[in-house]
Amino acid sequence: MTSPKLEIRGLQKSFGAVHATQGVDLAVRPGELHALIGPNGAGKTTLLSQISGEILPDAGSIWLDGADITRMPAHRRPAAGLARSFQISQLYPDFTAEDNVAMAVQAHSPGGFNLWRNARRMARLREPARDALERVGLAGRASVRVSALAHGEKRQLELAMALSLDASVLLLDEPMAGMGAEESQRMTALLQTLKGRYAILLVEHDMDAVFALADRVTVLVYGKTIFTGTPDEVRRHPDVRAAYLGEED
Amino acid sequence: MTRSIPPSAAVAPVSDTPDANAACRDRASGVSDTYTAGRPRLTRSVIVNAIGLLLFVLVPAIAQATGESFLVNLMTRFVIYAIAAVSLDLILGYGAMVSFGHAAFFGLGGYVIGIAAFHVNQGETLFGWSGSNAALVMWPLAIAVAALAGLVVGFLSLRTTGVQFIMITLAFGQMLYFILVGLMVYGGDDGLSIDARNTLPGLNLNDPTTFYYVCLALMTVWIIVCRRIVNSPFGMALQSIKQNPRRSIGLGLAPLRYRLTAFVLSAAGTGLAGALWANYALFVSPDMSAWQKSGELMAMVILGGMGSIFGPVLGVAVYLGLEQVATGWTEHWMLILGPVLVLVVLFGKRGVYGWLAGGKQ
Repeated sequence: MTSPKLEIRGLQKSFGAVHATQGVDLAVRPGELHALIGPNGAGKTTLLSQISGEILPDAGSIWLDGADITRMPAHRRPAAGLARSFQISQLYPDFTAEDNVAMAVQAHSPGGFNLWRNARRMARLREPARDALERVGLAGRASVRVSALAHGEKRQLELAMALSLDASVLLLDEPMAGMGAEESQRMTALLQTLKGRYAILLVEHDMDAVFALADRVTVLVYGKTIFTGTPDEVRRHPDVRAAYLGEED
Repeated sequence: MTRSIPPSAAVAPVSDTPDANAACRDRASGVSDTYTAGRPRLTRSVIVNAIGLLLFVLVPAIAQATGESFLVNLMTRFVIYAIAAVSLDLILGYGAMVSFGHAAFFGLGGYVIGIAAFHVNQGETLFGWSGSNAALVMWPLAIAVAALAGLVVGFLSLRTTGVQFIMITLAFGQMLYFILVGLMVYGGDDGLSIDARNTLPGLNLNDPTTFYYVCLALMTVWIIVCRRIVNSPFGMALQSIKQNPRRSIGLGLAPLRYRLTAFVLSAAGTGLAGALWANYALFVSPDMSAWQKSGELMAMVILGGMGSIFGPVLGVAVYLGLEQVATGWTEHWMLILGPVLVLVVLFGKRGVYGWLAGGKQ
């Protein structure tokens, strides 16, 4: 068995009396698309925030490529290979779509402290940005300001920014949130093209998308992992059906 | 507004030839900088800027033609305050850092000139240095002192944001104010008179017109530098941190480095303005760094339009112009400024410059 790309061991986090994460173990293998599902309030976003470094865990450890990154500052983690997209789009509303992606490119390329050159004319920032927009299907909207983009387009842009970080691990927090059926299908197809090229931890409520995309699924309930397995195993597992899928059947 | 999509791009016909497409994309992506554009376009902001510069250049001629010699002095004040206001816009408009103690750097720049002149005059030394009257020594020194103070104040206060940041910068500003009041050797509360302006080789700064043009040249250079800074990768990062710090950290940017650098640059520019003011007024006093002065600078930036670099110049003109006119009617001229400021904040978020130059909403 290959060593995992991203591994979480015994992670714990409480907010007062709320135990958001209670000893979570999880491993994402290289090239694997690992889905994290669970009912609302299960602590999925909290878990993602601990992996990306926004929240420090109370106990446990996080490992990336065999290195302990539990206490690494959040702004260093992208350079270590970890990119995150947000459940509620975290974009720059006054920038154009291309500006947004170019910021992601700039963040990991040298010369970010250049005070003299016009950033909007630097091909080495702009060309990768346009490529990323093309990949997510936003090429035609490059010069539109983000505040004027539709919701689905913002989700696509969110993904383009994560892709532009040159990371090897993607943490995707509900990329389909708030999307219509057709948009969801397009996003599923897009994520399909990323499979195998990144280790992906995908938090998603859209079960069709999860079962179509995931290599393995981990089920999180009240801050605990109750099961990890292939989509088929998860579908059949009685505890999972009771805790989560039951309400859908 | 050069960050915005120029109107010409909005209506540019989409052509099928790759060349034209590239050009379209180039324009549509907001690539335009009044000073760096290979082919300057006649947008509204370019016209407004050109007219503004022309008026500034013509001031001495107008003063001579009309016999209103006070005009040169008034406009010198405009230009000096504009340097400070543009500097403040760098952090206020592009970094959302509401510094309520920026007058500290203005006062500091002024006192560097005042104290050096005092020692030259008295023939005494200060830490073994006998002082200097050369502008080429003293002005960079004033800038350096303000920048260093900016580094210390910024390093300590940029750990906070929002109201805390306002309060801590206010506290630092007042601290310097009371230090200056306590410097009895240098006049304490009464301030310090300066005998003569600094000297520049080949130019007589005591001539009002020459001094005006020197200030105008410095303002123009500073505006160009600031425009380049805000459009650079550094400037984009600074703006990104203003818009969404959470995302910027998520991309791997460390906000403090960018915000602190901007703060130091802003302090340096404000220090230069203070040094020029000391030369203009031949007098420095603790009032230069009082919180009221910080408020004035902020009002100028907001009146003119935050986040445009050009706007604050107009804001200064409106503020000082209003003061000039309204004090002729009543000594309570703030009664007139107050409502004007409220109206601008309520209805013209981009200030007078946004209203004149149009562009981005």
